[in-house]
Amino acid sequence: MSEAGSLIDELRALEREAQDAIAGTSDPAALEQVRVAFLGRREGRVSRILRQLGGLAPEARPAVGAEANRVKQVLRGALDERERGFARERADARTPARDLTLPGRDRWRGARHPVTLVVDEICDIFARLGFTRARGPEAETEWYNFVALNTPLDHPAADEQDTLYLKGGGLLRSHTSPVQIRILEEYPPPVRILAPGPAYRRDTWDATHAPAFFQIEGLAVDEGITFVDFKATLSEFARRFWGPGTRVRFRPGYFPFTEPSAEVDVKRRVVGADGSVEETAWLEIMGAGMVDPAVLENVGIDPERYSGWAFGMGPARIAMIKYGITDIRMLYENDIRFLAQFA
Amino acid sequence: MNVSRRWLQAVAPGLDLGAGEIAARLAMRGAPVERITDLAAGIAGVVIGRVQRVRRHPNADRLSVCEVDGGNGTVQVVCGAPNVRAGACYPFVPVGAVLPGDVRIKRVRIRGQESRGMLCSARELGLGTDHRGILELAGQFDPGSPFAPTVGLDDHRLDVEVSPNRGDLLSHVGVARELVGEGGIRLAELPGAVEHELTVRTGSPAVDGAGVRVRIDDPRQCRRYMAAVVRGVRVGPSPEWLASRLRAAGAHPINNVVDATNYVLLELGQPLHAFDLARVAGPGIVVRGARQGETVRTLDGERRELDEGMLLICDPGEALAIAGVMGGSESEIGEGTTDVLLECALFNPKGVRAVRRALGMSTDASYRFERGVDPAGLELAIRRTVSIIVATAGGEPAPTLLDACPRPWRAPVVALRPDRVGQLLGVRFEAGDIVNLLEPLGYRCRPAAGALEVTVPGHRSYDTLREVDLVEEIARVHGYDRFPDSLGAFRPGTVPDDPLLRLQDRLRTTLVGRGFLEAHTTAFAPAEEGEVEVLNPVSAEESRLRRTVLFGLLHAVEHNFARGARDIRLFDMGAVFGTDGSGGLPRETNRLAVAMTGRRRPHHWSAGDRPWDEWELRGLAEELVAAVLPGECSVEPGAFDSTFFEAGCEFVLRAADGSVVGGAGKVRADRVDAPVWAGPVWGLELELGDGVRGRPDPVFRPLPAFPAVERDLALLIPDSLPARQVLEFLEKGGGRDLVGVSVFDLFRGGDVPDGYRSIGFRLRFQSGRRTLTDNAVDRAVRRLVRRLKEEFGVEPRAGAAGSGR
Repeated sequence: MSEAGSLIDELRALEREAQDAIAGTSDPAALEQVRVAFLGRREGRVSRILRQLGGLAPEARPAVGAEANRVKQVLRGALDERERGFARERADARTPARDLTLPGRDRWRGARHPVTLVVDEICDIFARLGFTRARGPEAETEWYNFVALNTPLDHPAADEQDTLYLKGGGLLRSHTSPVQIRILEEYPPPVRILAPGPAYRRDTWDATHAPAFFQIEGLAVDEGITFVDFKATLSEFARRFWGPGTRVRFRPGYFPFTEPSAEVDVKRRVVGADGSVEETAWLEIMGAGMVDPAVLENVGIDPERYSGWAFGMGPARIAMIKYGITDIRMLYENDIRFLAQFA
Repeated sequence: MNVSRRWLQAVAPGLDLGAGEIAARLAMRGAPVERITDLAAGIAGVVIGRVQRVRRHPNADRLSVCEVDGGNGTVQVVCGAPNVRAGACYPFVPVGAVLPGDVRIKRVRIRGQESRGMLCSARELGLGTDHRGILELAGQFDPGSPFAPTVGLDDHRLDVEVSPNRGDLLSHVGVARELVGEGGIRLAELPGAVEHELTVRTGSPAVDGAGVRVRIDDPRQCRRYMAAVVRGVRVGPSPEWLASRLRAAGAHPINNVVDATNYVLLELGQPLHAFDLARVAGPGIVVRGARQGETVRTLDGERRELDEGMLLICDPGEALAIAGVMGGSESEIGEGTTDVLLECALFNPKGVRAVRRALGMSTDASYRFERGVDPAGLELAIRRTVSIIVATAGGEPAPTLLDACPRPWRAPVVALRPDRVGQLLGVRFEAGDIVNLLEPLGYRCRPAAGALEVTVPGHRSYDTLREVDLVEEIARVHGYDRFPDSLGAFRPGTVPDDPLLRLQDRLRTTLVGRGFLEAHTTAFAPAEEGEVEVLNPVSAEESRLRRTVLFGLLHAVEHNFARGARDIRLFDMGAVFGTDGSGGLPRETNRLAVAMTGRRRPHHWSAGDRPWDEWELRGLAEELVAAVLPGECSVEPGAFDSTFFEAGCEFVLRAADGSVVGGAGKVRADRVDAPVWAGPVWGLELELGDGVRGRPDPVFRPLPAFPAVERDLALLIPDSLPARQVLEFLEKGGGRDLVGVSVFDLFRGGDVPDGYRSIGFRLRFQSGRRTLTDNAVDRAVRRLVRRLKEEFGVEPRAGAAGSGR
């Protein structure tokens, strides 16, 4: 047993010695010498050990034989690997050196419009709160734009929105609120929708006004919706959109189609370059309120059973705040140097 | 509404707050303050100056040389105001002091005369816009005393934003009531003003008294008309306390009689009008609709042509004033007026609104009538006005107040269920809480079965007429910020996510991934680019609604060309509009437009640049149309909109049913104002419909188990034969095992005869049941070649037929 044991030890020592020799070769010729020295059929040192097998007790032979074969396998693999390494070096040596510091092949980078970025972000947040997106026509009737929304045309509230009228009848919707009516006419409660889209007013272009602008309408109508729900959902939205630590304020406001009505302001926390945290001034971000029962009655929904809330937001204004854009006209000039900044 | 802080504190003595705190409280009550002006800011150095002597400037007709006592002895001042007179006091800025706008007063010579200081107009002090002359102070003051506190100008003006439903906030008392509640309001005694014993005499529709007859002919438009008479007044400037109050609230003092009416308007919110009684024939007042062709000259000097039925205040003969809008110049209070007829009336808000809109004007009076004037406040207003007039202009009030009151006003009563309040607000309010919240605002609550009977005060009788309006009042007074905001459970809605918006998301992802920038163009277009007309456009460029989106996108390309950009890739999606002649709403559809010019990729050092071309455009068109429409859509040469694209370089995009859904092509040179260095512009426009509803799921097909065999076939095709015909023939006629045909090469010249081109087709054969043998494939190719010759007379290019890969 001890004789067999010493042979196995000897094989393992040879294995280590051979591995070192293989690693130490610097060209294929040297590698061939190592191969012959260890694995050569006659003079190879592994072969010589194998020849001593005959002198062992028959029951000791298989263990030594198996170990010898394992060592041969390992060394053959190591020799082959080293051989391939030399081949790779030869191939590399034939190819001229690459200068990988040169610039790569660029692609044009596309970008969504900054207002789309804001609309998408808002819709994504509300999607997690169970809202789907809806749409309505931009050319509307007075019924959908005013009357059904509890805004009589002979009331000063109608003055707040200087409306563009169309020849042949109709008008360009002055807000996205007509979508509230169209959706409530078509779908039974519960309704939880956002309606992004353009709206139009008779404004001349300046730094803060555009005759066409984006709005997002929000509407939730169901049994048991309360002012607390309204505040909670919009506060949750505001904190998700403007970041944790944002303060939200609800002030009484006036819209003919909501009662109670509210203006919603946020105060953001801004982290300065030096890590200091500052609060911004209050920013007005939307007009909102509980859906006026008259609106529900106009679409045949029983206001004693159902209630709801709605809001209107201007994503262009929000994009301007969020991205530091100072002139609303930038959003419609479509200067590629501007648009490419949102890639 | 401009509110003076001091005035507010005069009517609400307990309101011990600074302007900023008042503004913060008002904001939380729904009346945010847009601007706070410190009236004393910048005029700290201004003192009272008394002009001792005035003489004409020796070298200038319009200038005077004054000797002014500014407290530090008498100095010489050159003044250009026409109204400067000896003995009067004016705001005076001595040398070295500073005026608003950081103007430092220096010692100067004006046309050879030394001037050491400046006498100021209201505008120069930032107190208003009045610049007709320097601000003469009524009364005598100590020269040199500081100007602002002496005349009550250590004040702030708050510009309160009042929403259309809150007519009750268009007065100092109204704003004060919101801040301190009804119990905190005290109408301050005014200098020299006393209560007069006046008896009200009512009549319907006419009433006589005080030597005047008042008759209402249109009780629907005029619900009530009160009148008072003051005889023997002396019209002149108002005392300083009155003038400075008006100025602090942003109004211009005119004369003591008119100022008294304006004072009461600003304090109580009730518009009043003063007529020169001598100019009222009869004397009698008739409130009636205008007759056809009637005109009146209003206070602003304009002769107004009236529509029939517009409500007028008339004497038995002629129109004196436009009811609730503006007085007439004929009966205007002037220096010669001795007897005054005061009007204090209640006009129909809708009627006033219709008239003032038709006349294109808005006044302090019409603004308040439109928003609702307290029907219960008339008598107080007219009594207070009489007191002020007598105190400031003298005279004797007639002992009778006339009150033509066709319909007495009755306060509305609204039933309010406390349960409903909780149902809507999510917070329970007991009846007692509700009473405590509403009564300070003037509501009176009486318990009734299961509800409160709430009597609405006159000043809120236009807005809070329903239970839900009172619910808002409760939320507002309780404070929105005191409601919890804990998110509860919600049910998902029944409305599916809009398919068009989903499609637009997908298209944006595709195009942004291909390097395109999303533009936002508007729906407006000039006359030649749209059918649907805007009746009241802002400009000719925006007088129609667009019929294409591409038009606006090409405009954007021009904008970028003009800024030196060569490589431009833009897209936009939006509505386009058309008329169908039915006279209803325009036809409105949604479209995508794409425009590109310049290089396909940014320049790289390793290769040359390649510009966009028709093949890139066609490939993009095929990708987009397949993304938008289900089934086998196609893109083929043809005219879509010849006003946009060059003939011969234009594609139509078709749906599976063959209908045209869009076009693409090389944009005509006359459609884009391009610099000489610009490359061609390529454009595309595609109808999006309503988005894709229920787009079918892909159906898995097993992967082929047997290898494919390919054969290349180069054919000599005459220029007159479109490649597509050959391609389709190959696809259809190649048998079941021909699974694909593609074009891999196009060649002219060499051994190819003139008028021909060699097109290389790669045919891919594959069977689902067995490995195809070369023999079988060669047979199929030979059969195709033979049938091509029969069908088109087309032959393989010599030596190229049937070659294997």
